[in-house]
Amino acid sequence: MATPEVLQEISHKVTQAQLARYADASGDHNPLHLDEEFAAGTPYGRTIAHGMLVLAFVSETMAKSFGRAWMCEGKMKAKFRAPVYPGDTVTTSGTLKSTSDATATYEIVVRKQDGSDVVTVDATVPIPV
Amino acid sequence: MLVERDTMDLATLESGSELFSRRITMTGDAVAGYLAAVEDDGDAYALEGVVPPMAVAALVMAEALKAIELPAGAVHTGQELGFLAAVDVGAEVQCTAKVVQNSVRRGTRFVALEITADVGDERALTGRVSLAIPEEEE
Repeated sequence: MATPEVLQEISHKVTQAQLARYADASGDHNPLHLDEEFAAGTPYGRTIAHGMLVLAFVSETMAKSFGRAWMCEGKMKAKFRAPVYPGDTVTTSGTLKSTSDATATYEIVVRKQDGSDVVTVDATVPIPV
Repeated sequence: MLVERDTMDLATLESGSELFSRRITMTGDAVAGYLAAVEDDGDAYALEGVVPPMAVAALVMAEALKAIELPAGAVHTGQELGFLAAVDVGAEVQCTAKVVQNSVRRGTRFVALEITADVGDERALTGRVSLAIPEEEE
């Protein structure tokens, strides 16, 4: 498998229904993600997506590009920069940042429809020999 | 040191405090539910016959965050994850989380947790989650 310079973009529209499904699947029922009334009293003002849901989109991008190498030897280091609200469409894109003898590191950015970054990630995979 | 899983006072958690340790079975239904929730077609994982590593990470993270019962203003500022081995569907995963940082600076508590997931004797996942939590005014 080659080491691509650019990874395929993937977009998702996040909905409140999806947050409910994710809460059930992950077990993370924090009311910040599910309860409009509770979330209205937080600094966010409304419900926000689980950070781990947004990182799932990053992992999806890497898994589609690198398969088992990502699933068994991938590493990611993420910074959350802004919340994702229900109704937002986020797009995950990745570009090759650096390579070593054994690994490739991609800069992955998850952006909202307005162009703002919500998560930036350094994702590292082994280079196939 | 193993701290009881019920409500924990963040202020009392010292570095090294274990939040929980438990086994989770990665059933086919759980994996399917996870993939549906994240709207991933799952083809990449089906091809390899493994559980999405983020599904394992999500379950461990959810347990860790439940254990410390975050206040409303808590912010998930960073996340590191390392996938070290495949987890097969149906595997039992031993999951742990412990506190590795807990300090207050300028009215904000900074907490870092280390998470792990093992299958048998093999480590499948490691991670570190960083949280910033505003301290309540006196």
